[in-house]
Amino acid sequence: MRNYPRKGILLEQNKEPGLSKEIRVLPALPVEKSRMPGEISPTPELLAPYEIVGLAKEANIVDEIDGRRLWKKLAQAARESVSGIVVDALDDEPYISSQLAPVLQYPEQLHQGLSLALRAIGASRSSIEIYRNLFDVNTRIPASIMGVKVERISGFYPAENYARRRLSRNNTLVIGACALIFLQRAVYEGLRQTSAFVTVSGDCVANPGNYEVPLGVSASRLLEAVGMITDPRRVVAGGSMTGFALTDPSVVYLSQTTRGLLAFAEEFRDMRYVCIGCGRCTEACPQGLSPYFIYKAMQHPRKRHIEMADAELCIGCGSCSYVCPAKLDLAQVIAQAAAYTKEKQGAGGEV
Amino acid sequence: MKLHIQNPPHIRSRESNQTMMVDVIIATLPLYAMGVYYYGGRVLLLGLTGALASCFADILCQLAGGKIPNIRDLSAVITGLLIPLLLPASAHFSMILVAAVFAILVAKQPFGGVGQNVFNPAAAGVAFVIICWPQSAFSYPIPFERLPLAVDETVRLVNSPAYSLSLGGTPNIDLLDMLLGNVPGPMGASNILVLLTCLLFLVGRRTVNLWMSAAMFGGAAFVALLMPRLELPLLTGVAYELMSGLLVIGAVFLINDPVTSPKRKIPKLLYGFCTGALSMLFRHIGRYEESLLFALLVMNAAVWMIDLWGEHLAHTMRRKHLELAINPPVSKPAEQDVGAAQE
Repeated sequence: MRNYPRKGILLEQNKEPGLSKEIRVLPALPVEKSRMPGEISPTPELLAPYEIVGLAKEANIVDEIDGRRLWKKLAQAARESVSGIVVDALDDEPYISSQLAPVLQYPEQLHQGLSLALRAIGASRSSIEIYRNLFDVNTRIPASIMGVKVERISGFYPAENYARRRLSRNNTLVIGACALIFLQRAVYEGLRQTSAFVTVSGDCVANPGNYEVPLGVSASRLLEAVGMITDPRRVVAGGSMTGFALTDPSVVYLSQTTRGLLAFAEEFRDMRYVCIGCGRCTEACPQGLSPYFIYKAMQHPRKRHIEMADAELCIGCGSCSYVCPAKLDLAQVIAQAAAYTKEKQGAGGEV
Repeated sequence: MKLHIQNPPHIRSRESNQTMMVDVIIATLPLYAMGVYYYGGRVLLLGLTGALASCFADILCQLAGGKIPNIRDLSAVITGLLIPLLLPASAHFSMILVAAVFAILVAKQPFGGVGQNVFNPAAAGVAFVIICWPQSAFSYPIPFERLPLAVDETVRLVNSPAYSLSLGGTPNIDLLDMLLGNVPGPMGASNILVLLTCLLFLVGRRTVNLWMSAAMFGGAAFVALLMPRLELPLLTGVAYELMSGLLVIGAVFLINDPVTSPKRKIPKLLYGFCTGALSMLFRHIGRYEESLLFALLVMNAAVWMIDLWGEHLAHTMRRKHLELAINPPVSKPAEQDVGAAQE
């Protein structure tokens, strides 16, 4: 049951040396504390559920996994009488460890935040999910954190996606680890969320690691503050598999959902390879699609084949592009095919 | 700071077309080494001729098609290196040349070059040469007799075990000798153990899947069991059938050509099984002692159909799963509960 997906790809994680380092606040980018009006409750353990939700609302906490406001998620879960909470600290994308590092380094804050969230929605079950295939980390990942069980999710790369989908069916609320830490700070210290945990890494970053960074800082300021060895050729916001490349880092600002900022010096050379039909993309696709078939159908548009290929089931994990030996942009082509199919089906539905 | 934009993912696997092809080239090298061991240095010249001729023809075709020549993916080199392995070591240089040029000019480039060809170029080239010069394509030198550069009448040429099998006779050769390649036969095809090691290497590097090779052996063994040609104990007969001719080199190199094989697992198994079975059937009804190339070419023509059928199958399965996810099957106790509530 827990070993999913059966297909997908095994990635080198490259999380070190970032993960084992202490989470730091950069001296060049100090985090300003913003205290909420009203007194801090002396007995946070006795707060009523609506008070916790209200504090989460006032502290403006955003869940980093889906960008929704934490108080809305908690209120909805309380209405739907959800039976448990799973803390998402999977981090199965290479380089990124901005959820895992806070879980390992602030276990008390996480535990207090988790028990607050459990009380807010009236649930009792809880667990922390961490990816299993982390081969190159120097830190030992414990079996339980402050009495909360750690579930190790095995399986190939887009494990996070599958874990969330399974849990959403399972009457469980999934909350990001960082959001719970900020919830604890809001309730115990009366602080608003003014910062986010961001992994800064890549082969031209001088000092890769996890940083607590104030919100609204531009990507270039953060990169300068961390320090770089050489000028990067590519800067990526988000994960290494699903993030987006930046054209101008000085106008892109960090938000609560920016999990990582990667800067790479190497760029891909166009070797003018063509598809040789090796079928590795078909082997890798966790959804059981055939990117090869979709690519060929899109190349000389065969409409019936495009519709048959079910491109709209794509979850955008990018495994096909990753494994492609011809370095084709398969994920992009599949997105186009999905858009085409949706358009087609929409038109059919109206008639 | 000049930044480059690229679609996600931002990391890519280190494997490329070139590394895949280099893997296959590395896998052919032991066969050439065995060829030198058995027949002398002439073998290397044959390989060089094949590789150069096919590369040259490839570049020429790309220029004629108005493209910038690009042979970095090395697929032409593999075609050229495979051709001498499928022919006797005594093959004339012009045979190799014709096979290589035919492979590129007729079987590969008219379809659109790398990745577009319907038929395996090396198989098509060698099949053409076999039809043109059956006499010299089916008479083999004896191992451990050094071949001169120009093969003339003084070189002793004999028939292969596959030929005696096709006449209904038992080859007078030890099975161990067949495993080690110490029999007259196509230059690269008789070293069964070396070939299987090459297959292990390719599977270990994940350049090829074991599925198609295994299915092909299965298909061939199935037909050989059903329709034995020899008055031998059944399993010995099957072993002779599997180890003679081009079957093993076909299962290692030719059938695993990524361009001309299906992509999904079940179609792969079907394709491999049919190729093996068809090859054995052709041995029964065909005139030539060598049947694999023709069976492979026939199956290559059917690959698009197998692939499309596989996609249809996958599509149906996906729809079933989606329906199950949306409307899970109602279990019986639940129905009883509903009935009890109504009462």
